[in-house]
Parts: sequence; structure tokens; C-alpha cells
Amino acid sequence: MSSATETASRSLSRTYDYLFVGRSRLQQVVVAAGLVALLGLVGAAVFFPETAAADLVAVLTDSSTLAATLRLSVPIAFAALGGIFAEKSGVINIGLEGLLIIAAFTGIYATDVTGSVWFGLFGGVVASTLLAALFAVVCIEFKADQIIAGLAVWLIALGLAPFASTVVYGGKTSASVATLPTVTDMGLPFVSAFVTTELGFVVDLPVFGVLDLQSSLVGLPFFGALFDAGPAVYLMFVAVALSWYTLNRTAFGRWVRASGENPKALDTAGVNVHRVRYAAVLLSGVLAGVGGAALALGIGQFTGSGPTMVNGKGFIAIVAYLFGNYNPIGAFFSTILFAGLDATQLTLQARDVFQVPRPLVRTIPYVAVIVVLALFGRTRLPSAAGDSYDSGEGE
Amino acid sequence: MSASDRARSAFERIVTASGVERLLISVSALVLSILIGGVIVLAAGRMADCGTAAYRLALPGSFVTQFTGGSAVVAMGFCYDPIAVYDLLFLGAFGDVLGDPTNGQFATTLAETTVLAFAGVAVAVAFRAGVFNIGAQGQLVVGALTTAVTLLFVAPLFGGLGVLGTVVVLPLGLLLGALGGGLYGALPGALKAYADANEVITTIMLNFVATSVALWLVNDSSRFKDPDSFSNQTVPLPEFSQFPSVFFRARDDFSVVALAVGVLTLVGVWYLLTRTSFGYDLRTSGIQPDAAEYGGVDADRTVVASMALSGALAGIGGAVYVLMMLGNFQTGVPTYGFDGITVSILAGNNPLGVGFAALLFGVLKSGSIVVQVGSDVPPELVGVLRGLIILFVAMPEFFRMAGRRFDSLLPEREEPQGAVATDGGVSDE
Repeated sequence: MSSATETASRSLSRTYDYLFVGRSRLQQVVVAAGLVALLGLVGAAVFFPETAAADLVAVLTDSSTLAATLRLSVPIAFAALGGIFAEKSGVINIGLEGLLIIAAFTGIYATDVTGSVWFGLFGGVVASTLLAALFAVVCIEFKADQIIAGLAVWLIALGLAPFASTVVYGGKTSASVATLPTVTDMGLPFVSAFVTTELGFVVDLPVFGVLDLQSSLVGLPFFGALFDAGPAVYLMFVAVALSWYTLNRTAFGRWVRASGENPKALDTAGVNVHRVRYAAVLLSGVLAGVGGAALALGIGQFTGSGPTMVNGKGFIAIVAYLFGNYNPIGAFFSTILFAGLDATQLTLQARDVFQVPRPLVRTIPYVAVIVVLALFGRTRLPSAAGDSYDSGEGE
Repeated sequence: MSASDRARSAFERIVTASGVERLLISVSALVLSILIGGVIVLAAGRMADCGTAAYRLALPGSFVTQFTGGSAVVAMGFCYDPIAVYDLLFLGAFGDVLGDPTNGQFATTLAETTVLAFAGVAVAVAFRAGVFNIGAQGQLVVGALTTAVTLLFVAPLFGGLGVLGTVVVLPLGLLLGALGGGLYGALPGALKAYADANEVITTIMLNFVATSVALWLVNDSSRFKDPDSFSNQTVPLPEFSQFPSVFFRARDDFSVVALAVGVLTLVGVWYLLTRTSFGYDLRTSGIQPDAAEYGGVDADRTVVASMALSGALAGIGGAVYVLMMLGNFQTGVPTYGFDGITVSILAGNNPLGVGFAALLFGVLKSGSIVVQVGSDVPPELVGVLRGLIILFVAMPEFFRMAGRRFDSLLPEREEPQGAVATDGGVSDE
């Protein structure tokens, strides 16, 4: 057996383990049904190209769907990473939605004032981190109920952002500002030119077969979107990898986990639990800030009516990391799932393929979140999550 | 037990426990939120553009300089005057209440209060059972929609009966709202009880679903949209099926009858929670779930029942909103559900306290209209205050620390101890 087939079979068995082992019968049935449905859909599309199934597959495999998925993943993934750090350290940060909202508005405002999207991004991060700091003080210093304080953070941002937008722009929707550039128009030396150059060669790979690289990287079917995304998308990939490394391979990561599982032991070992929790919550503010600012700067405008442009993404992020079992990589894949559903419904709306009423299609991601939570919500919280820690000193 | 004994024991019940402390925390949180809100208004005044400053902060101020002569050393102008804003917000909501007790603005205040009382008590019931119902908004929307749509078909059957028609149809409308909201509340309750799905997330997601589905139902005349209207709304209900306006003018959309129903509901829920075995089970599950289970309470069923009750109360709020204020269902329902969270938390999740907190928020909501008309300050300020109040009530430790510091300056007194006002009996170390 060649090493390539060995690797393939090993990754297959690991995927099987991840999907089925240790799950309840109901969960196994649902996962299996999902896989069968997916295979059936692809099969139907291949053999009956004139049907609705083929249309759906065409939507799903379109390069623009992947582009939208990546774009929509950014706020959810960053917020989810932030939520992992906070919750692993023992502070349940249910106010992620509020951090996204405040970062989205400040991102636009700072871009408008400074004229640079990068300063805008930075401004959004600062605003979100400040709000996270307030949340941290309230939870850690004043031992507030974390759920209620998190709700307060959300509601403060939900009030403050439209308020500030009305003060500055005269309405809940801001003026339009510049957007974050994508790779092709970022003017990066070499890279920007490279991704659009026609490659014009064919690669013969042992397992995948012949890979046609006649077109440019950007022009590749489906995966082309990977080479023409905004900087936030690449930042997201880096952040996911770094978060995983930080949590699992560094001393800080060990402290964060200990602070959530057994704060007393961490205290005994001579590490200040409060300081670790402050760092983790501030980090969640920084990460959510990048996500929120990137969300708004991807569009170039802040929309503050109703649930604002963030529209529940902070709460979806919480479900994403619960579904990913507090693992940054797992959280990233569940983010892709939710964002993919959202991107699909957006493309379906735009193309009007199935004549499904728009308001109903729009509920798909929210319903998916409820279903996922009901089926896979039984995750094990860090044992000290939700509790304030009192070292018994300084009283 | 003589009457005076009974009065004394009642008085003791109020003073002891942590009642006074809760009240103090709520009042301090309110004052602090208003102060910070004022600072935000000042800051916003620096961000906005205006020709002349509405408010000037000078050091030393004009009170000093009028005696000493000269001018202020440091002076700063602001576009908005926070004191004027609060004047409009709090006093504007009452209108000319002494001269004309049934004036339009005061009617709006009371109408908002009525709906908020239902939303607030809905959240309070769930909180007392240890369940965070953030979905009162969605339950209210579903209740409002159920009432507005179903009564369209039922009300004409009772058209010729006059007052009798109102007596039959109006309670039926409230019941329909309770049914719709109750079922929509029971759903996340069941998901929490039997599938361990966190109710904070599911209820928030269901809010989005409710808004979207409601929009779908009323955006096309093949469904329930009023074909004669350009906006997304249902056909108006006949006049007799709505709350009658007693004392107040009909165009002010307020009914004393609805307010009375609200007050009775608050008292009823208070009685249910404190004087019945169901209420006892519910509160015990909130404070000590394990003990409740040991005592023979079915925890799962209690969660579902409390969420159903909570949703039903929110649904009645939606029905009242339709039958008193709108006369039909329209998309873009105000955020009563979120205000209800603040109302409940401010009231320490006490159904009777909800009445007072609802009045306060009724004033804020109605006053925000006065602010919008009378100043350049965006009425969204109330949304900011809503979040700040929750934040401050959630940190009683802050006020205790402040109290201790203040206490140490005074001669010996007993240190206040007691339950946290906002925990809904959930967290206990």
C-alpha cells in the first residue's frame, strides 16, 4: 500500500471516529442521514442535470458561494475564537454579539475619520476591547452574574451603536466608507499579479489525478475564491491556527484551561487567576473586534436598524464553538457550516432558483443553529465556568 | 393574630430578607445609569456638529465668576444639554398631567407601561424558575400575530351583539395571544429540558425566526396582508373587538381596562409564585434545582411549564399591544421583550415590583418620543440606558463595596447580607 493511500484511509477513519464514535444513537442517525442526503444530492445532480438538485449543487459549488461563505465566516469565527478563550478561562462571554456590534460601528467611524480602513480596523478592535474590559471588571472584580452582564454588554452595544450612528450620520445607517480590498486589488507586490496570471500548465498528482491549472488561481472553479478574499479571511485562518497553538501548546493556554477547570490549583501553583481571566476576556474583545470591524468594512457601511447588521452572528458564534467542542479548529469548521448555509440562502435569494419566499429562506441559519444545539448541545462546560473566583485574599 | 401584629409581621417581611438591599441596589443602578447616560449625551454632543453650544461646562462656572469677575479658565461647549434631555425624557412623558390627567402623552406612557408590565412579568417568571427567557420578544410577536389573525375570522361572528360581543371576543383575543406565545415559549423550554439546549441561545434564535415568519405572513395579500395597505400589516380588527377607551380619548390608544388587566395579572402571578405549591416548586427549582428534584419536583416539567407560562404572559402582552394600541398586526414590533428583561431585573424579578419598573420604562419609552421631537438627541438613548441599568443591577457587589466603604466612615452598623437581586436564584456559590 502506498503511503498516499495509507494517509487517505487513516484520515477517513479519523473522520469516521469524529462523526460517529461517542455519539448517541439519535446523533448518529442524524449525521448518517445528513451524509446520505449530501451524497444523494450530488448523485441526483450528476445523473439528472435538469432537476432542482442540479441547480442547488450548482449554487453550492459556485465560486461566489465559497467567497460569500468565507466573508460571512469572518465575524463568526473571530467571535467564536474569542468566546473559546473567555469560556475556557471560566468567564462565559455571552456578550460577543455586543462586541461585534460596537466594533462594526467604530470600524466604520474610525475609517471615516482617518480615511484608512486599517485604522478603522484598529479602531474597531480598540472599542470592542474596551467594552470587553468593562465586562471583565464587572464579572471578575464585582462578581456579577456572567450571563446577565453579557446580556447587558449586548444591549448596551445594541443601544449605543445606533445612537452614535444617529449622532454622527443623522440616521441608524452610516455613510459609506472605503472597504477592505481583496488580494487582486490590494496592489501587493508579486502576489496580486501572481493570482491573476494564467498559469497554463497541468499537474499530474498521484491521488487526485490530473489537476488542470490552465487558468489563473483566481479563475479556478470553486477554489478560486480562496485566492481573491479580503485580508480578514486570511487573518481568520492565521487566528484559528494561532488560537489552537496558544491553547494547546503554550503556558498561557495551560493557565487559561486551568483557570476554567480548577482555578484553586492554578492559584496554588502561584498563578494569579484573576489576571489570567482578565487576559482571556480582553483577548476575546480583541478577536471579536477584528471580526466586527471586518464585517462592517467588508461592506463599507454600518446598518443599525433592528438587530443591526451583526444580526445574531455573536450568538451563532457561541453555538459554533459549543458544536466545535471548544476546539478552535472544530469551531472553525462549524462556523463554515453556519456561514455556508447563510451564503447559500443569500445566493438562492439572489438567483431566485426555487421561488422560496425570502423571509423564510432567511431563517435557515437560525433554525440550523437551534437544531444543532438541540442535537449536539450537550457539551461539557469547563467546570468552573460561570463562577467567580475568590482567592480569599485582600478582604 | 391581631391586625396590628399582622401589619407588623408584614412590615418585617418587607424590611428583612434582602428587600431593602435589592431596592437600594436597583435605585443606585438607576441613578448611576442616568449619570453615565448624561456623560454619553455630553460626549455625543462633542461628536455632533452644531452652530451654538446648548450646554457649556466652565471652570470656574458662572456662579463663581459673577462674584469674582473675569471669565472661566477652562470652558467647553456641548451640542446637547443632558439636563434638558432628562427633563424632556422624564417630565415630558407625563405631559400636563396636573392640568389634564388624560392628555395624550400620559396616555402613551400608560399604554407602554401596560405592555411592558406583561413583558416584564413574563421574563420574571422564567428568571424565578432559573430559566433565562430572552425570547419574550419573539413570544410577544407570535402572540400578537395569533390574536390579530385569528380574531379576523372569529370577530365577525359576534358582530351584531354590541357590548356582549366585546365581552366575548376581547378575552378570547387575550387567550389566543397567551396560547400562541405559550406554545412558542414552551418550545425552547422543552429543548432545554429534554435536549439540554441552552435556552439563551435558542430563545434569541427563535426571536429572529418569529420576526421573519411574521414578515412572511403579512407581506403578501395571498396570506394575511391587508390588500388596501402599502405597508406590511393585517386587516384592521373591528372596533368592538378592541379594548374600549374609558376616560381617555380613543385616538390616544390607551385603555384603562387593559391597565387593570395588567395589574390583576401582576397580582395573580405574584399569588401564583408565592402562595401556591406550583409557585413553590418553580422557585425551588430556580434556587436549588437538586433540592427541588430531591423533594419530588419534576425538573424537566417545571422548566417547560415555566417557559410556557412565561411565553403565555408575553403573548398576552402582544395581544394587548394589538387590541389596545394598533388594532391590527404590523411588522416592526418595538423591542418590548428586551425592555422586559430590564424591567424584570430592575424589579428583582418580583411580579409586584415589575409594575413600578414597567411604569419607569413606560416613562422612558414615551419620553423618548418627546426627546425626539423636542431636541436633536437621538431617542436611541433609551436603548443605552436599558443596557446600563442591567449591567449595574447585575453587579450588586459593586454597590456593597461602595456601601462598606461608606459604612466604615459611620459608627458601627450591621453589614448588609443577602441574595443577589439579579441571579433569579440561579447562581449560588
